[in-house]
Amino acid sequence: MTTLLLRLAGPLQSWGASARFVQRTTENAPTKSGVLGLLAGAEGRPRDADLSDLAALRFGVRIDRPGSRIRDFHTAENRDTGRALPLSDRYYLADAVFLAGVEGEDTFIRRLYTAVDAPRFLPYLGRRSCPPSHPLLLQDNASLSSLPLEDALRNTPWQGGRGPLSHRPPREQPPAELNMLLDCPPQDTPDIQLRDTPLSYNPSHRRYAMRGIQARHATASAPVHDPTAHLRPAPTARHDSPAPPLATDDF
Amino acid sequence: MRRSIIDIHILQNVPPSNINRDDTGTPKSAYYGGERRARVSSQAWKRATREQFKQLLPPEELGVRTKRVVEVLAEHIVKRDATVADNAVKLAEEVLTAATGSTLETPKRKTKEGDQGSDTLPESKYLMFLSRRQLDALADIAIGSSGGGDPATLKAELKDKKNKAQARAAVDSRHSVDIALFGRMVADAAGLNVEAAAQVAHALSVHRSEVESDYYTAVDDQSGDSESGAGMIGTVDFNSATLYRYAAVDVNELHRNLGSGLAPEQPPSTPATKALTSFLEAFITSLPTGKINTFAHHTLPSVVIVKLRDRWPLNFVGAFETPIPKTSAGGFLRESCDRLAAHITEMEQAYGLDSDPTWVFRVGEETKGLADLGSTLTLETLLQQVGSAVSERLESGA
Repeated sequence: MTTLLLRLAGPLQSWGASARFVQRTTENAPTKSGVLGLLAGAEGRPRDADLSDLAALRFGVRIDRPGSRIRDFHTAENRDTGRALPLSDRYYLADAVFLAGVEGEDTFIRRLYTAVDAPRFLPYLGRRSCPPSHPLLLQDNASLSSLPLEDALRNTPWQGGRGPLSHRPPREQPPAELNMLLDCPPQDTPDIQLRDTPLSYNPSHRRYAMRGIQARHATASAPVHDPTAHLRPAPTARHDSPAPPLATDDF
Repeated sequence: MRRSIIDIHILQNVPPSNINRDDTGTPKSAYYGGERRARVSSQAWKRATREQFKQLLPPEELGVRTKRVVEVLAEHIVKRDATVADNAVKLAEEVLTAATGSTLETPKRKTKEGDQGSDTLPESKYLMFLSRRQLDALADIAIGSSGGGDPATLKAELKDKKNKAQARAAVDSRHSVDIALFGRMVADAAGLNVEAAAQVAHALSVHRSEVESDYYTAVDDQSGDSESGAGMIGTVDFNSATLYRYAAVDVNELHRNLGSGLAPEQPPSTPATKALTSFLEAFITSLPTGKINTFAHHTLPSVVIVKLRDRWPLNFVGAFETPIPKTSAGGFLRESCDRLAAHITEMEQAYGLDSDPTWVFRVGEETKGLADLGSTLTLETLLQQVGSAVSERLESGA
């Protein structure tokens, strides 16, 4: 089993699990349907493609910076008559950072890694107007881990530090504990349930199944402070070369 | 084919204004880096960009986004063949139903007399986005298959599978520039959806920004000397900002949406290249017009950076996650440019993107911090160079 980790950071994100029509809500953390949609888009799957392989992956997310919820009031107007069309409220998470992970069979996970590294459809954080502010893949191949999902999420350094490295406030500390939301194994009792396991993204009949979620905590480890780290030459791995070796637990 | 993705980064000063407001009339905002920022929604700027297209592109390259599709198509039909004018509305309705599968309804509007107005025509239930070329193609079908303008004949003809498919193909090809860039969602016919090739981010101020309120009074010109009070009083909320604006365009997707050149002598990359440079120019020079007569906030960007990527686009808003502080010299632009230059270099080196082609347009001495990123060009040269770089990429693999 291999785990793929994605950093989801951007000024605005929006992860709706029951967002329809005029109330476009967002959950407090990325949904399974949102993240799998991002992966499916990276692979270039059409909206009506089969998703069973993706839906079968074990999914979890760590909340590195929870952010705050903002409401965006959206109007549209009929150009010819000037009449207002139905108003809608769109909710966003502002200022949030998440670490999302999917665990599955090695070849498939590596294929997804390669897809995210050169995506067919451009990625966005839940809504098209929310592009990521940082690359989704962690630096130095840390996005591919041979650890199981929960351990991989636990062992990855905290990603919630603010601003560019050279202008980062010197005293910023990660919170002592980070919340994690993980797919609940079938034999356990879930803490919460959400209808966000995608069965089909086909816009004429989107379908989602219920998903049991377990809440867990992780101790945050700040990234090791190395002021020259970002000046090192970049890894030479490109999308046309085979996927890099797995990062192992060497923190 | 080598992948081509364009990202656009803009710094723009906007004086006191209220270009995009929420339901209480307050300028929109968002928290970023723990501080409140001015925000202009992506929808607002896309709308401004679409409006700007009208100055840059001929009408046939653009789409019409309206619920009143029946009326618009009827006009196209009459323009092509005035003899069918009497039945134009009926013909338009038939061909639209067949082509899009959408339901068209006559809206119930109350007039003073209590019944609906006599001039009400059927409308679609949502904004339908059709290119002018698609409307022309539909008009041709309506005229050609109706045996001289008879709606019943047209209806019967469109029952035939082949004819129906032809009508559907008319709205599924020859998309306009704005449809290709911003996409199309047809609620009741998902097969007609067009995936947007452009992503536009919400613009955010690079600094902390609080909303201010302007208390105003208006004098009643006709009030006599004895009445010294105001005719009315009110408040307008506003803010001012140095905005970071960002958009990305998937050039390959744009090329797929638009197809190859229409004329045989035209290189296949021409439609996509033209659409891209029009988008760049329109996005750079447009400004949402909210309360424009109150604030006259007409400004243009001080900095435009365009990058050509071959894997994924990269947003540099992270440069401003720590807000730009107030300095004794005042202004945010100089520090923003220095910060942006450092952030771009850091990120690109770290992720191995630093060889990607870059074009820089900048105005003023305050922006010199960005001088090392690439040679500084005029806007016109920038558009030309980006255009030829992109068409070269598209041609090399097309």
